[in-house]
Amino acid sequence: MTDRGQTLWYKDAIIYQLHVRAFCDSNNDGIGDFNGLLQKLDYLQSLGINALWLMPFFPSPLRDDGYDIADYTSVHKNYGSLDDFKAFLAAAHSRGIRVIIELVLNHTSDQHAWFQEARSSRESPKRDWYVWSDTDDRYREARIIFLDTEMSNWAWDPISKSYYWHRFFSHQPDLNYDNPAVFEAVWGVMKFWLDVGVDGFRLDAVPYLVEREGTNCENLPETHAIIRELRKRLDQEYSDKLLLAEANQWPADVSAYFGDGDEFHMAFHFPLMPRIFMAVQLEDRKPILEILEQTPQIPETCQWCIFLRNHDELTLEMVTDVERDYMYDTYAKDQTMRLNLGIRRRLAPMMDNDRRRIQLLNVLLMSMPGTPIVYYGDEIGMGDNIYLGDRNGVRTPMQWNGGWNSGFSGADPERLYSPLISNPVYGYQAINVESETRSPHSLLNWMKRTIEVRKSSRVFSRGSIGFLQPSNHRVLAYVRQFGSEKILVVNNLSSTAQAVELDLHAHKGDIPIEMSGRNLFPRIGDLPYLLTLGPYQSYWFRLRRL
Amino acid sequence: MPEEFLLSDDLLRQLMSVGEVDLLVGLPSHNNAKTIGCTVETIEETFQHGFPRERVVIVNVDGGSKDGTSEVVMNATLPKHPSSRGLTSLRTEHRIVTRYAAAPSPGIAFRTLLAAADLLRAKACAVISPETSNITTQWVGSLLQPVYRQNFDFVAPLYCRPKYDGLLARNLLYPMSRATFGRRIREIHSTELGFSGRLATHCLNQDVWNTEAVQVAPETWMAITAICADFPCCQAFLGPKEPVAGSSGTDIVTAVRQTVGTLFWCLESQERVWMERVGSEPVPTFGPDRELSSQKVRVNRKRIFDLFRSGVAELSPLLKSILAADTDAEIQRVATLDERNFHFDEVLWTRTLCDFAAAYHHSRLNRDHLLQALVPLYRGRIYSFLLEHQDSSPDEIEADSEKLCVEFERQKPYLIERWNAKT
Repeated sequence: MTDRGQTLWYKDAIIYQLHVRAFCDSNNDGIGDFNGLLQKLDYLQSLGINALWLMPFFPSPLRDDGYDIADYTSVHKNYGSLDDFKAFLAAAHSRGIRVIIELVLNHTSDQHAWFQEARSSRESPKRDWYVWSDTDDRYREARIIFLDTEMSNWAWDPISKSYYWHRFFSHQPDLNYDNPAVFEAVWGVMKFWLDVGVDGFRLDAVPYLVEREGTNCENLPETHAIIRELRKRLDQEYSDKLLLAEANQWPADVSAYFGDGDEFHMAFHFPLMPRIFMAVQLEDRKPILEILEQTPQIPETCQWCIFLRNHDELTLEMVTDVERDYMYDTYAKDQTMRLNLGIRRRLAPMMDNDRRRIQLLNVLLMSMPGTPIVYYGDEIGMGDNIYLGDRNGVRTPMQWNGGWNSGFSGADPERLYSPLISNPVYGYQAINVESETRSPHSLLNWMKRTIEVRKSSRVFSRGSIGFLQPSNHRVLAYVRQFGSEKILVVNNLSSTAQAVELDLHAHKGDIPIEMSGRNLFPRIGDLPYLLTLGPYQSYWFRLRRL
Repeated sequence: MPEEFLLSDDLLRQLMSVGEVDLLVGLPSHNNAKTIGCTVETIEETFQHGFPRERVVIVNVDGGSKDGTSEVVMNATLPKHPSSRGLTSLRTEHRIVTRYAAAPSPGIAFRTLLAAADLLRAKACAVISPETSNITTQWVGSLLQPVYRQNFDFVAPLYCRPKYDGLLARNLLYPMSRATFGRRIREIHSTELGFSGRLATHCLNQDVWNTEAVQVAPETWMAITAICADFPCCQAFLGPKEPVAGSSGTDIVTAVRQTVGTLFWCLESQERVWMERVGSEPVPTFGPDRELSSQKVRVNRKRIFDLFRSGVAELSPLLKSILAADTDAEIQRVATLDERNFHFDEVLWTRTLCDFAAAYHHSRLNRDHLLQALVPLYRGRIYSFLLEHQDSSPDEIEADSEKLCVEFERQKPYLIERWNAKT
């Protein structure tokens, strides 16, 4: 059972991100659903995760994979019913798994009843729920986000004969938060789901809620005021709930979304993710150290969310041009792998299926400050299909076994919402939960053990971090500390064996105990502490004073 | 006695930490605290703008500075550009500082750099002198690029010089090395150069490091080694070279002993190569292949002339043992000329040098004494050059230099004849 009184639960969470559609199909229609997800909760529990982040499952024309919501308070018929969702939620809670759902507050689908009413006439009572203009030259300083598809942030509405504002696709009109009725309606949506029992919201596209002339229309004070008011109401009427911000910005800008602990509880650390990939490829800790040095302190009750891959492209917006070029040349040589300003690939193919590198990245994910998110399928090393359009190549069905449709669905293969991965390296016959469960040394079982070790200490989830500066730049070493508990993490970022001398004089007298095997290492003395590490090897040492 | 090693344990430790690099820039130093910080910053800037992805290291090999040179190297910091968010170079930019115990020695410093390049498996290396005050990012990039991107193994610099600067190279080193080794590389003796890791390893493995010629002018030896072993060579134009203000420079006697001594030694050690080479070939050049500025350098011509005359008089017996009889007679005649009508032509100068090189080879007298005996004659040639070119344009000087080079090539059979003559 989830501990309902644990108000900082999100700090200790290990979040698993999935799309209901992609996980398990219980009614053989080729599309995953909540009943199917419920059946797989035991698997998720055995993996060790304790929170789920569900991508949008609301009624939607599905032109943006559900991020174009047409009705905020129902479940898309493809995925089941509201009752199915409630049954799943109860089952998850009974296994100690919290559930975070996704809300897109910035915009709706153009099929949403609010927009249909707003566009019906200029006199409509809902007209002012969206942002309209007679010209398309307002807010010119706002950048276009989906560069590959959109030419402008304004789209012409032939029905009401005016332009409407959209920061994302043109079929996703932005809501007008200058209208208090919109805020009340959105809070009503949140209350609806909170009353159903969800544990939190991942709020999509947060920086863009408000527009102001002469600005880039991102991160405006008015947007923060809206978030503060939502948080205030959340705290007043509910306990133990979470707000997670999606704000793809530099750390200094994102940290503003924590406010004084009165806005979001958590926010994604977007710039860290590409730099983890960069550091491993460069075999140099510099990119990681630099971005963490630029990361400001955040309020005690807040937490960063960190991740390796997710449902979107690996975003390269928060990198320099030099870094972006390097990432493209390294991880997306084939132009097909690129989308917008990013790379639409999964973790394992990006690592050339090198088990050691996949593990190293996961070790970094699990040991750096923040709450880690595991994207579905990455725990078994699933591949991608870059020949599917948009970001669908990383949203293919979960691979449960080597049988019919990989155990995902009993439907005819042609009916699946997406083709399965079936190539010889990453195909479901080779990569699946069943076979990896049976193999003690599989990536899946390694992930389970690693998550278990991570959960064995709150140092990882709540502790401070102090970086060591050994002269060997290929080694990234840090000490995490929480109260009197200390953990030393040493990572070899390179493909070759490395020796490293660590300045551990501050921990003189401590005995390092390697956490996976619980083996003792020599006591730390006056001399630099010498370690040798194999290619991409990592150590987690608990430092004990005995 | 404990065995002495070229590389200290501390340096080895630093090299281990760096691992492997793409680019290495070496900075030999001795009491350069005033200027070396700026040099380090320029190199870092080159790395950040020109090679942001590459694995890079700066290696400072210090000959026992007392002015905090090493500390300046370690602490030099390039101001961060505000728009870059501090993220310009992708990788750690390494700096290694090492000192050697002996007195300042170009040979030890250079060999240490080669060893570092070898152990770090550097792809491209450059050596920069902290004695030069106007180093730019273009300099460093020009020395590294041909090696790193175009597979050259040796890059000689080309400078924009005032017309009376670089006279030793113009009147002796270039024409003689060009005629003998067959490659038109203008600056075979320079404190700035670029080279590949391959060439570094090749040079490091030669059993020459205890010879004085290599110890005093290792860069010259490397240039000639690269030419003789047919490593792809090129030249890169760097621009004007300005020595640090107050720098005393090297006196002409020392300069001749170091550079000409090394050139003569290389003639001996590479005898089989140059004997077979006929004529000369240009090498690829990045940027202008010559650029003389009309800026004049003050020289005391009277003193040069007097030192020539007195030198010839004092060294007359010595010159007789070095020079062929007709050459000696011509020198004695020239020494009687009035300073206003003085002329030491290219034919006499070429034959003089051929005689000296042969005498060096036959060890007719102490080699150091022999090189010192060349100095007054070099002064005579320079006085003649200054007299003839006081109003010459850069193009006229270039034409005259080319004439001298052609004369050297024409006289190469004479050199071989003298070289092979039984003593």
